Amino acid sequence: MTRLVRTSVWPGIALAGGVFVACLLVSLAFGPASLSLGEVWHFVTTGPVHGDLPNAIFWQIRLPRVLVACLVGAELAVAGVILQDLFLNPLTDPYVTGVSSGAALGATIGIVLHLSNLPWMTVLALIGGFLTLGVVWMAARRRGRIDIFVLLLAGVTISYLASAVVTVLMIRANQDMYAIVYWLMGSFSGRGWQDVEIALVAVPFMIAPLFFAREMDILLQGEKRALELGVEVERTKRVLLVTAGVLTAIAVSVSGIIGFVGLVVPHIVRLLVGPGHRSLLPVSLLVGASLMGVADLLSRTVIAPNEIPVGVVTTFVGAPLFVYLLRRGRKG
Amino acid sequence: MSTTGQRRGLAAVIIPAALALLVLGALAVTGCGSDSSTGGGASPAASASASSGPITVTDGSGASVTLQQPAARIVSLAPANTEIAFAIGAGAKMVAGTSYDDYPEEAKSLPKIGDFANPNVEKIASFEPDLVLAAGGIQDGLRSKLEKLGMQVYVVDPKTYDGVMTDVTNLGQLAGSTEQAQQVADTMQKAKDDAQAKVASLSRPATFLEIYSKPLMTAGGDTFIDDMIGIAGGDNIGATAGSGFPNFSTEVLFKDDPAVYIADSGSMSKPGDITKRSGFADLTAVKDGHVYVIDDNLIARPGPRLAQGLQELVKMIHPEASSAQ
Repeated sequence: MTRLVRTSVWPGIALAGGVFVACLLVSLAFGPASLSLGEVWHFVTTGPVHGDLPNAIFWQIRLPRVLVACLVGAELAVAGVILQDLFLNPLTDPYVTGVSSGAALGATIGIVLHLSNLPWMTVLALIGGFLTLGVVWMAARRRGRIDIFVLLLAGVTISYLASAVVTVLMIRANQDMYAIVYWLMGSFSGRGWQDVEIALVAVPFMIAPLFFAREMDILLQGEKRALELGVEVERTKRVLLVTAGVLTAIAVSVSGIIGFVGLVVPHIVRLLVGPGHRSLLPVSLLVGASLMGVADLLSRTVIAPNEIPVGVVTTFVGAPLFVYLLRRGRKG
Repeated sequence: MSTTGQRRGLAAVIIPAALALLVLGALAVTGCGSDSSTGGGASPAASASASSGPITVTDGSGASVTLQQPAARIVSLAPANTEIAFAIGAGAKMVAGTSYDDYPEEAKSLPKIGDFANPNVEKIASFEPDLVLAAGGIQDGLRSKLEKLGMQVYVVDPKTYDGVMTDVTNLGQLAGSTEQAQQVADTMQKAKDDAQAKVASLSRPATFLEIYSKPLMTAGGDTFIDDMIGIAGGDNIGATAGSGFPNFSTEVLFKDDPAVYIADSGSMSKPGDITKRSGFADLTAVKDGHVYVIDDNLIARPGPRLAQGLQELVKMIHPEASSAQ
């Protein structure tokens, strides 16, 4: 059976890879500064040049932004798959663990203390995210095992708590309200190579879950069944939870909180390729990256020189697609 | 904290609420929001100034405000309004302000009615004001509530530099300090005349004014900030992006390549080192050293200190004109 699944995953991954490459190219080729395709190709081949403004538009503004968007999309989608399947709850998204609210709290503290420039904001957001993960973890640990339902409830509770603190800070330091709300809304505006570097740190964490694809498949049948089948359930849960937490914290720390992708991409991909993680994980990664790349492209271009908040676009693009796929029904 | 303590947890839930509040709040702070289409202030209706008899002026929302006698108890719902009141010598008549009021120094010790995004109607009424100075935008819904309680409301919502001067003279009439108000307006007019004289014969460099950096936001076409950039001899790039305070594409910023880059700095935003931002080293403004930071109190609050802000803008946009003087 394993062999069969293994051979059949590649067409899906290849197709998703093709879609991703197409989305990446389109995102790089188009933008509000309307560089021609010839120009873009010229910049790609010549590399970054100092003192040439159109070149800087491509290499210093557009390219890093597109890369950050795709990385964040991939991170959220993979985290979404992991958490939905661990919690066996279709409404789970990467933000229920409280990690994002913790990160938001960290970033808010950074803003209130006027440390709003890189790398402090990002570092504080990461610290906030990890601390929250730790607290939720401690709350859910009972006699050496993690109780998933306690973890979910603790995550939601901590999430509320952290958001309440953010609200208090917002009211107390009301002159910073602006900065805090814009951070919470999520955006890729003004993201540069520094942000790409931070987002790239997540790559190993996107790949790691692939090595647990079999365990994740079995865990879908419940922990008891998985134990019977010889899966090291606790170890798998630990690794996956930390992975999802790190992915979420990194994504949120560079982009703020962008909704929908982490919730809906896993569902879309399940409808397309089924629940098997050997294809679900890599295809979700690619679809997440593609969706976020295209969403940011639309966010940059549709009403240029203004921008639409990217979270709005992910929802506008993703919701109709999702409804269409739901109506079409589950495949094979 | 007398506001309703909304306890909403998930960021996803608080964002829309906070955002709505904020955008409106920000507009109220700067007085540029609101759907009122009239230019700020309109004309002061003819009326006997210092003598007795009803005083009637038209406020920033186009409504006419009538007082039977000069106001004696004034509540301000925005920091800019408080600044105007103190500048025209009506500080002693101020009975309450907002928690944001920080200028002049005396304003800090005024009793507070909450912040301008959430003014507490009961609290306002408890001061028994005969004149309430409101802002546009978020406070639009407040007017009817206050008027039902018998208070007179003047909305300060200027869209131009001249509109601010009109508000100053109007408030002078309402507060019975026409002379000092006229002096303030004259100072503002002089700053404008000086600026126009300096830049009259000069080219108008493309100027970008950054309100906020992440995401990049600027001052749109119908704001008094846009008006001031024009008076100071610059061509506001942000005017192409619409009205109010729109966000602005970084790519388009690079394409437009401003000759002058001015970042607003203050309580709302800290621009950091602009020249070190990704790619910014290649901008003409950065290469030529025309990157400036301006105190947002001088350009974003529609009050008397705009005169100072205008002088600053001239120095930034036309350093050659200022050094010649």
